[in-house]
Amino acid sequence: MTNRTVETADTPIPSGNRSLSTLLHRLARQREYAVLALLIVTLSVVGAVNPAFLSGGNLRDMLVQDAPIVIAACGLTFVVLLGEIDISIGSLMGLLATALGQLCSPSHAALPVWIAVTLTLLLGTGIGLLNGLMVTLGRMPSIIVTLGMLTVLSGINLLLMNGKWITDLPPGLRWFGVGTMLGIPICLWAALFVVLGAVLLARETPLGRRIYAAGSNPDAARLAGLSVWKLKLFAFTLTGFLTAVATVISVPRLSVIESGVGQGFELLVVTCVVVGGTSISGGRGSIIGSALAALLLGLVRPMLIFLRLGVSASYWERAIQGAFILLAVLADHLARRTRRDARR
Amino acid sequence: MLSLTGRKPVDTREPFLEIHELSKSYAGVQALTDVSLNIRPGEIHALMGENGAGKSTLIKCLSGSVRADSGAVEVNSALLPAGDIAAAEAAGIVALHQESTAFPHLGAIDNIFIGRELRRAPGLLDRPRMRREAHLLMERLGESIDLDRPLEDLSLAQRQMVGIARALSRRSRLLILDEPTASLSARETQTLFRILRQLQAEGVAILYISHRLEEVYALADRVTVLRDGRLIGTHPIGDVDRGTLVRMMVGRELLEQEQSESIGATGDVMLEVRGLSRPGEFADITFSVCAGEIVGLAGLIGAGRTEVAATIFGIECARQGSILVRGVPLIPGSVRASIAGGIALVPEDRQHEGLVLPLSVRDNLLLSVMNSLTHIGFRSRWKERASVEKSMRELGVKAANPGIAVNTLSGGNQQKVSLGKWLATEPRILLLDEPTRGVDVGAKAEVYRLIRSLARSGMATLLISSDLPEILALSDRILVMREGRLSGELSRAEATEEKILAFALPAGLDASLETATETNIAAGSKAV
Repeated sequence: MTNRTVETADTPIPSGNRSLSTLLHRLARQREYAVLALLIVTLSVVGAVNPAFLSGGNLRDMLVQDAPIVIAACGLTFVVLLGEIDISIGSLMGLLATALGQLCSPSHAALPVWIAVTLTLLLGTGIGLLNGLMVTLGRMPSIIVTLGMLTVLSGINLLLMNGKWITDLPPGLRWFGVGTMLGIPICLWAALFVVLGAVLLARETPLGRRIYAAGSNPDAARLAGLSVWKLKLFAFTLTGFLTAVATVISVPRLSVIESGVGQGFELLVVTCVVVGGTSISGGRGSIIGSALAALLLGLVRPMLIFLRLGVSASYWERAIQGAFILLAVLADHLARRTRRDARR
Repeated sequence: MLSLTGRKPVDTREPFLEIHELSKSYAGVQALTDVSLNIRPGEIHALMGENGAGKSTLIKCLSGSVRADSGAVEVNSALLPAGDIAAAEAAGIVALHQESTAFPHLGAIDNIFIGRELRRAPGLLDRPRMRREAHLLMERLGESIDLDRPLEDLSLAQRQMVGIARALSRRSRLLILDEPTASLSARETQTLFRILRQLQAEGVAILYISHRLEEVYALADRVTVLRDGRLIGTHPIGDVDRGTLVRMMVGRELLEQEQSESIGATGDVMLEVRGLSRPGEFADITFSVCAGEIVGLAGLIGAGRTEVAATIFGIECARQGSILVRGVPLIPGSVRASIAGGIALVPEDRQHEGLVLPLSVRDNLLLSVMNSLTHIGFRSRWKERASVEKSMRELGVKAANPGIAVNTLSGGNQQKVSLGKWLATEPRILLLDEPTRGVDVGAKAEVYRLIRSLARSGMATLLISSDLPEILALSDRILVMREGRLSGELSRAEATEEKILAFALPAGLDASLETATETNIAAGSKAV
């Protein structure tokens, strides 16, 4: 009624480029769609060039490769939603692999497989809890805590390995890596189960919504009576647990365990979470986004092979994955800018 | 769990909430001393006081986010456990804090229910019921908003409605609002007032904190004044006039009434702006400022005043037009050139743009002059100390020592440091953007005195302010902007609040002038 400033305040987006900026918004908000679109485009383009790419066998192989990344990314998404980060999951996976192998290998502890697996899951959960305790009660920045943890864990791993590979994995353990249920690999069942559980947690439970809220505005969360530190403790512990799950379903695929397991894994997982649309400052993101991004990034290497670009082409894998991170950050930045401009 | 049916009007005689001799100190500083207060159902109770008077501490103790050192809060004669947010909420006390308590990435439903989600099975949300109840709450407030849209995409007023809905969903019996109109437009303020009166009629008590006398007189039934953490008094609003109220807050007569003599005798033209334009922001701006003159720039928010100042200072580059300093054109879009030309800009947002908050007073005062206070290329501690001491003395900055962090100072003292930082460069032209925003009444007078004494010493000053009494008190000449254009110029003698508003409000809205003036110019003009 009184003046024009009032009206502009009520309509944040100027009518001129409304549709464009709305579209940009939606794409940035719902990164899932952008990632899904890119996934479909890549699949169809590479499939058109080389139909073998879309064969059942290859798709299944690619999914099997992606499974551990998807599982760990589900945990890390909650950590990042809270504005924290965990870069220790790669060396945690290395240590857990060694522990798992040594616990059940006949030449080491020779425990029954199910006990070895349970202990591995407990160890992963415990280290996640330790990360969480240092971040919350210790009030230390998570990047430093998990950087320290990364170094400590890989040091312990080298000590345990003592320069030798574990080659005598019992068949019962190999089942977790190569076994199937109803014709579908165990690791895919695990990934499916974890993703569904994480989606349910994020969307349909008070706990999940509180994680979003605490990441969006920690002060307001405290004023709303939420214990932000408990939420963080939960997210770090969950990430440790899921890293252990990822280890159990991926490491026994090979018949040996060497000291290089998990190297670079944390970068892949962080990349998935960021590319999947989770804001590194917290509050925004989704499990589905992270999972789709894991599938997308998992396409890069097979794509380079199936496009038959020559041997050296596969060296581009890391560069292309890195470009995805930068693109994702750029998209965030642009979205924020259009939103800010729209509000002016 | 919610009663959305409204309440019966309650007898407003008996207080339901009593505060007994509440005290709280932070690290040895007494923030609250033996404050007692009672609240009746269905009353709007204004809480006033200068910055640092203890208002925020009091409401934090009430809402449980801070634990009082001594004293008690009783609700219906039952003692409220101290420092327990959940208990306070259970007793119906909900605070909407000054800082945004919303979750910007989440939609209205999550914002309303977070922390007290409705569940259908253990650990699972009952979304349909939450949506229904959120819808009912917004209906009760007479606002329709998209419940799924992230709050960051809503207007400030809509976000505030969500906050109030959140309070109502908790069966709030006492709603605490801390300067709720600080960033609302005139219309949004009206809507808020309507809702508050409606809640009042439903028996909800409201503790309303505001610096704006007009709002308090328009809304409140009773008013309580705090000063230096102590209770000065609680009165029915009809029993105190404005002068008394201000005296209660300040504790002394305001010197501001010295309505200073116009300097009249102004010097050479220092700053000249010719046909300045930036598409979408402002167009064809032409004016000049002389040495020793204070030119006020009034207008509504969004009229383009801040943008003009930013362009003169070289932060933005004009599309057309020129800026001349003492007749010499300025290189457009260069802050360096503007500083060299003797221009200084004291920005509106002192916390983000004007000061580096965690740094000391000394470091902030030195930021703009560090390069010149050197000895063979290295920092000269001696020159720096001399410069800092001079600034602090001239500005009257009240700080224990120059080494303490700026963010520990009061708003008024922060503003003085922000001003001093630029005065150290010895500018000839001073651009002031909202120099007293968030500054309490006492410090305001000191800032005014400073601006006047600078003008007397020959400073050419462009004063942007949304506070009409401030513009009127300080300016020799007043320019008014409307929608990016200069819409009028008034001399000191002819200027009145009504005339400024007539130029500032969009044409063909005569009716609106009346409403705006009525709801207190400040509401309109703050929106301004």
